[in-house]
Amino acid sequence: MVTITINGKAVQANEGEMLLAAIRRQGIDTPALCHHDAIEPCGSCRLCMVEITKKEWEGWTRSVTSCLYPVEPGLIVSTHTPQLLELRKTILELYLARSSQSEVIQKMAEDYGITHSSFPVIPDGDDCIMCYACTRICEELGCFAISAVDRGHDKKVSGPLRQPPPDCIGCLSCAHICPTGFIKWQDLDSTRTIWERQFELLSCRTCGKRTITRDFAEYLMKKRNLPAAYFELCDDCKRTETAKTMGKIVVAAQEVLK
Amino acid sequence: MMHDLSKIEEIIDRSPKEPGALIAVLQDIQREFHYLPCEALTATSRALGVPLSKVFSVSTFYNAFSLTPRGEKIIRICQGTACHIKGAKLVQEQIESNLGIKAGETTKDMKYTIEVVNCVGACAMAPVIIVNNKYHGKVRCDQTRKLLGIK
Ligand code: FES
Repeated sequence: MVTITINGKAVQANEGEMLLAAIRRQGIDTPALCHHDAIEPCGSCRLCMVEITKKEWEGWTRSVTSCLYPVEPGLIVSTHTPQLLELRKTILELYLARSSQSEVIQKMAEDYGITHSSFPVIPDGDDCIMCYACTRICEELGCFAISAVDRGHDKKVSGPLRQPPPDCIGCLSCAHICPTGFIKWQDLDSTRTIWERQFELLSCRTCGKRTITRDFAEYLMKKRNLPAAYFELCDDCKRTETAKTMGKIVVAAQEVLK
Repeated sequence: MMHDLSKIEEIIDRSPKEPGALIAVLQDIQREFHYLPCEALTATSRALGVPLSKVFSVSTFYNAFSLTPRGEKIIRICQGTACHIKGAKLVQEQIESNLGIKAGETTKDMKYTIEVVNCVGACAMAPVIIVNNKYHGKVRCDQTRKLLGIK
């Protein structure tokens, strides 16, 4: 355990954890877009900036991304100084200029009292804020289907060779992790569409509900060593099956004990 | 476009088969073909064990790599501050009209490609153009035809 001070209050933090986790545990609302527990932090959105100092720093302070800064004994953290609020406002205005249509950004900006950007709004700007949460989770899964291509203003996330990504398994991890909901997908009957690719959806043997894509199931069979039978039922029916089996065992046990 | 696939294999063969060699391999391929053909990207990805998405990410990031075929002669026009002040814009317009293409484009006969670069570190010679790695300084508009080797 490490003792740090957050907004004037001494608190305990776990060794090795990042400041953001310790701050959030205190119920302090620090905005963050690129952070997600499922992936390594990368510090790209800059919204989680906090001010740190230490007694021996003699009044010097530093602004750091809390998602990337590990806790240290004696750290004194402020999360809402006037400078930080200004900083976040500027960042949010920049996001608002790029992704003016994004509800998530609009809501965040509103919380900081911003309704419009003082930067020129990009007319054909999209909701992608370039945090690469999608490519990071795809890497984490070991698929490496999508990546950031080009540079500067033209940078975007895409499949290799600007084609629908051949290594995509249609698992939707990227779409779910995207903080602004930019990555679109659609399930229609037994077909899932994402990244301009179409995937066959498996359905539950019992209730017929669509489950996951065939490619995803095959990926799990290979990587996680799951048997093919595991994908025959949906989660609900699996639960029912388990309950039934358990019931039978209980009855059988009672018979034996009689 | 068809490529001499054996050339690609040769380049890959002589490099260590590890992810760290990626940029070096891409540079060699670029030198050989003046651009990175699709086949080369997939072959590199396979040989070095780097996912194709990463290979593509790297090849689109660096200006030194091109994904579209380029001409035999690559004309780089410096538009750094010094060259700009010394009239590089006019030189560029002159060259563009000489060749009938814009910066970033390649002539139909695959002879010339025009590129604009930012400061090549030869400001004393401004304005500078580089024709296939040969530097020409203090370029004047009436010299461009000669430098390009056209009548
Ligand atoms: S959450 Fe820390 S920079 Fe995005």
